Amino acid sequence: MVLKLYGTPYAFGATAVVAMVLLEKHIPFEFVLVDLKTGAHKTREFRERHPFGNVPCIEDDGFIVYESRAIARYLADKYADQDHGPRLIPVPTKVQERAVFEQGASVENVNFFPSVLKVIQEKFEKPLHGETTDEVALAGYIAELSKVLSVYDDILSKQRFMGGDEFSLVDIFHVGTGPGLALGGIDVMISTGPNVARWWNDVISRPSWVKLQAEGIKSSV
Amino acid sequence: MVLKLYAGTIASGGSGIVALVLAEKQIPFELVLTDLATGEHKTPEFLAMHPFGQIPVIDDDGFVLYEGRAICRYLAEKYSDQGTPLYPKGLKERALVEQAISVESANFWPPVIQIAREVIGKPMRGLDKDQSIIDAGIVDLTAKLDVYEVILGKTKYLAGDEFTLADLIHLMAAHRLADGGVDIMSTYPGPNVHRFPTCVSSWWNDISTRPAWVKLRAEGIKGII
Repeated sequence: MVLKLYGTPYAFGATAVVAMVLLEKHIPFEFVLVDLKTGAHKTREFRERHPFGNVPCIEDDGFIVYESRAIARYLADKYADQDHGPRLIPVPTKVQERAVFEQGASVENVNFFPSVLKVIQEKFEKPLHGETTDEVALAGYIAELSKVLSVYDDILSKQRFMGGDEFSLVDIFHVGTGPGLALGGIDVMISTGPNVARWWNDVISRPSWVKLQAEGIKSSV
Repeated sequence: MVLKLYAGTIASGGSGIVALVLAEKQIPFELVLTDLATGEHKTPEFLAMHPFGQIPVIDDDGFVLYEGRAICRYLAEKYSDQGTPLYPKGLKERALVEQAISVESANFWPPVIQIAREVIGKPMRGLDKDQSIIDAGIVDLTAKLDVYEVILGKTKYLAGDEFTLADLIHLMAAHRLADGGVDIMSTYPGPNVHRFPTCVSSWWNDISTRPAWVKLRAEGIKGII
């Protein structure tokens, strides 16, 4: 049975992270739209799959996984063979390489994500709820994010990507939030340092991301 | 060369969970005491190991690794054949562990750290607690625990019927809430007032009384050679 991806259809957020992995790995999937505006993610039926009532989740022949970063690891580990595009995660037996990958994944989760989320909430989500952006607070959040990205610039002067020298899931974890900043005129992803700019351009120019931005998330079958 | 752990002595945060993995797996290590109060974590030498200037960091015979959750996975994988099994190798079993680890970070950690900053962090710095922040944190955490109650109603631990890294990682900060007078974890009543103890409180008491953890909390982090 074809894998099902439940989530939002845009090139934004956690569903887009999983969609990019599916495209990179050439994994066929059926996309099932979950309309957040109607509360489709909070129904009892949906919570049978994802008890926290969030998106995305996948259903792989009856096996359900939620949390985009867990789904991504599962897919990359399951389809680790050569017929399925770039590896995207070192095999578990390469203990040190996998550890460097997990170090980068934790950096995204613990340092980048909370910072970028504050910027996104202040700049984009508040106006959606009829509130006004607090420009002073926003400037503060952008400054915090810039500090994180300055460290990224140091890390990326020593390794090519955020999970090591190969493009990996760790880089993909950033596409749920990073690309949206430019839409609001916030250019920190390319202005903070030359290494971050080089890395970020590498990530967002991948054909899988270009396709997602152009077409949104659609079933591949 | 024996593994070096750069950390403090208090079993909390990333240092606490790494120390617990080391204890559960009986991995010998040397504690390199890193004094945050004197800024030892911000020296150029330390930043060369950890560019964000945080503890813990390990140096495993020249292989340097930071981020507590990454170190835990590394040790659990490298020493999978000794001590408590913490990180299953099966594809689906591991996916469920990763799912629960992600849940901790996305849902459990934010309200826990919000409360901990008020009830532990502020008094340590001689500042007054903000009760409205504590109350908001408790409301948020309770809502998340209502979902944990559903999950733990189906399996004994978060990723199945065995204790794994996913449960262990929850010992990063939540134990500090009780230290600060907010014992929500072991007194969580659940949505059904007739069912006590709840699955959450049973699970919490189970993982909190693991001998290796009890010893760490009592004695602090100490090298074992």
